[in-house]
Amino acid sequence: MRDVSFGQYYPANSFVHKMDPRTKFLFLIVYIAAIFTADNFYALGACAVVFLLSALFSKVPLGSVLRSVKAVLFLLLFTALLNLFFYSGNADAETPLFSWKFITIWPSAVRFAIFLCVRLFLLVLGSSVLTLTTTPVALTDGVESLLTPLKWIKFPVHVLALIMSIALRFIPIFTEETSRIMNAQKARGADFESGGLVKRVKAVIPVLIPLLISAFRRAEELGDAMDARCYSGSNVRTKYKKLRFGWRDLLAAAVAAALLAGVIVLRVML
Amino acid sequence: MKAVSFENVRFSYEKENAETIPDFDTDERVFALSGVDFCVEEREFVAVLGHNGSGKSTLARLIDGLLTPDSGKITVFGKEVNEEDLFEVRKQVGIVFQNPDNQTVASIVEDDVAFGPENIGVPPEEIGERIKFALSAVGMSEFRHSTTTRLSGGQKQRIALAGVLALKPKIMILDESTAMLDPSGRKEVMDAVIRLNKEEKITVILITHFPEEALLADRAIVMSRGKIVLEGKPFEVLTKEEELGKYGLALPASLQICRALRKGGLDVPDCLEPEILAKEMAKAIQKGSAVAIPQLPVSRGRVLDETLDGSITAENLSYTYNPSSPFETHALDGVELTIATGEFFGILGHTGSGKSTFVQHLNALIKLPTAEKKYRPKRKKKGAATKVTRLEVAGYDLTQKTTDFRALRKDVGMVFQYPEYQLFAETVFEDVAFGLKNFAGEKLSSGQIELAVKEALETVGLSYEEVKDRSPFELSGGQRRRVAIAGVIVTKPRVLVLDEPAAGLDPRGKAEIMRLLHSIHEDWCKTVIVVSHDMDEIAENCTRAAVFSGGKVFAVGAPKAIFFEKIRETGLDLPFTAKVERALERYGVYLDSDLTRADFVQKALKEAAKYA
Repeated sequence: MRDVSFGQYYPANSFVHKMDPRTKFLFLIVYIAAIFTADNFYALGACAVVFLLSALFSKVPLGSVLRSVKAVLFLLLFTALLNLFFYSGNADAETPLFSWKFITIWPSAVRFAIFLCVRLFLLVLGSSVLTLTTTPVALTDGVESLLTPLKWIKFPVHVLALIMSIALRFIPIFTEETSRIMNAQKARGADFESGGLVKRVKAVIPVLIPLLISAFRRAEELGDAMDARCYSGSNVRTKYKKLRFGWRDLLAAAVAAALLAGVIVLRVML
Repeated sequence: MKAVSFENVRFSYEKENAETIPDFDTDERVFALSGVDFCVEEREFVAVLGHNGSGKSTLARLIDGLLTPDSGKITVFGKEVNEEDLFEVRKQVGIVFQNPDNQTVASIVEDDVAFGPENIGVPPEEIGERIKFALSAVGMSEFRHSTTTRLSGGQKQRIALAGVLALKPKIMILDESTAMLDPSGRKEVMDAVIRLNKEEKITVILITHFPEEALLADRAIVMSRGKIVLEGKPFEVLTKEEELGKYGLALPASLQICRALRKGGLDVPDCLEPEILAKEMAKAIQKGSAVAIPQLPVSRGRVLDETLDGSITAENLSYTYNPSSPFETHALDGVELTIATGEFFGILGHTGSGKSTFVQHLNALIKLPTAEKKYRPKRKKKGAATKVTRLEVAGYDLTQKTTDFRALRKDVGMVFQYPEYQLFAETVFEDVAFGLKNFAGEKLSSGQIELAVKEALETVGLSYEEVKDRSPFELSGGQRRRVAIAGVIVTKPRVLVLDEPAAGLDPRGKAEIMRLLHSIHEDWCKTVIVVSHDMDEIAENCTRAAVFSGGKVFAVGAPKAIFFEKIRETGLDLPFTAKVERALERYGVYLDSDLTRADFVQKALKEAAKYA
């Protein structure tokens, strides 16, 4: 449990770290759009190159970035497997690779499953570059600033941003707490590893309940601590770190635009 | 001008909480404040003592307006605390709470410190200045850009202190802020607090269970059941044995020694400082006086016919977290340790010394790589003769994957830190029976289960009939802890491992837990292993102890063998009795006691008899 790095800030002094969080956020959106626009491996390759560049310029060791996939690895493989089995190929143009009872695996299904996997991988990896290089506070400031227009319709943008930042901050704390409670129940003979689905779901209860109670307790204490430090969410609030766009942001915007354009061209041409 | 004043303040929590069984170590919810008059002068340093549930925390929350009194008047610098002026009051009053993790809002140190000033609308340039000031005041300047989660407990609490300081408060309240820290973390925080009081002229209200901390204050207040019952100079308050006992507190260990020495005929005044006590003792001993040497109570440890194995052998035990990653940490690095059947064994060490990792190996919560199901032995390289790792606990070989790990976990019980946070069932009965049912499967009849649960609950000092059908969550903090311990001892493990079993309890609660462990140890548990930060607790209770440092065993042996000056290198301290003995040596008096209080007193009196 200790190696869940998703949502954890990796302190470093790099090009990506110094970028404005708003730019990084918009960059990520464009990057995701590009991934979903891409319909062939060349376009996906272009996305991968952009991801590698951003990882390189972030000075975060590639291992740490890759580790963020671990948390969703099961989900990824499961999706890929589903597609492998249930994607029906074109019976006129290709012959099945494998056929047994109702299961038929087509070459195009293999291709599609791999494509899907790479696509999702790039998606998670790109997002983790954002969270690894941006402090939750900067991230929330960015989101808050980007959502400012919503204030016109009385949407509580600041509150939403704060909730997000606190949620991010507590991820490592709850990860640790979960493993601690699991250990404690294991020591009392709880078994999380064997048995059928019903048994496994039942086994989670002794972990889930203490975790929920702890979450409430922590929330209450955090609320008191915030109150004591004069939090009221009012308009007098100032910001210590002002967001500013710089030359790095211009450069990033250019890269993002080039990527999206490139992917669209590849889609039209191929 | 008075910094804080209370006039006949009353406060009660909702009725639903009042149903809790009245008990001395119940938590804050039960007893509210019932007519408190109290004031604090500007720049004063006041310590507030009291058993768990005495109303100390309620007092702190009322001052800051986090709670509103039912009746009475509270003023802060002449201004009444009420809804309209809440902001003004909170700017002047800062509180640091107990759990450092639950009061940090941001992930980066400087962002967290900035949170308060941002809230009150300080201009950004000035916030920068305030961060600089606050961090340097607590000695954390170099951590300005660090992530908060990677700091130690003491550092996190100093950040919390800085976060409050950045609001430039005139009053600082510490609500058991050092309770969850190890000795060095506690010292870091206390040093910072004293500096703030002396140099920044901040009024300090310190709520604590530690007498040595209260001693640093100008004035001490004792609360009991929602009332202020004692008040005066800390030294005077802490020496009132009878009253302290009556209010659920205990005389500090140092004073218990002074009194025992006097009772034996050695003329020493009450001293809290080891240096001063040593000086007085040396004087009194060398003067020579008629003394009555007390008989020691039964000796520690037991010699029993040990048919069941409760021993532990670890050889060349190593463990690395996150191997080959930037966060790689060698938690254990070739640990060698043997614990014999029948010992009451202590494990000491700084946070991060490897002691928790070691303890988790004992019932295979961390399995050795060779015991993993997927392990395949590698072919040995020629000439690479590495030392073999051995780990045997209660007769189980933990290096083999064929070992019955379920049976191991039944025989090696583990009580984690703050075990009450693991309770989950609807009733106390169900929670205690959880482990029993897991291990025994369907083999036990409901009558047998009932019997075992009843015995476990009664062992931990709870009435079976009274608590069995209650929800564990409606019990007090101290009672919940005992229920959690009952949930582990219900299977009667041969080896019982406890991580900081007394953490966060008041002195009386601590003493009760230790007494409970001794009775289990005498009755049926072969080996008890206690992990602790409290040197006095180890010296007083353990037959032997091991000191962990940097993933290795730094020293192992009887308390008197391990508590020597070098232990300070590991960031630990000496127990009180050892400190006095070391100081006595400078006066040419050598006691060589086993460092328990009783033996220390006896040896001192024997020494005095020589001179008489």
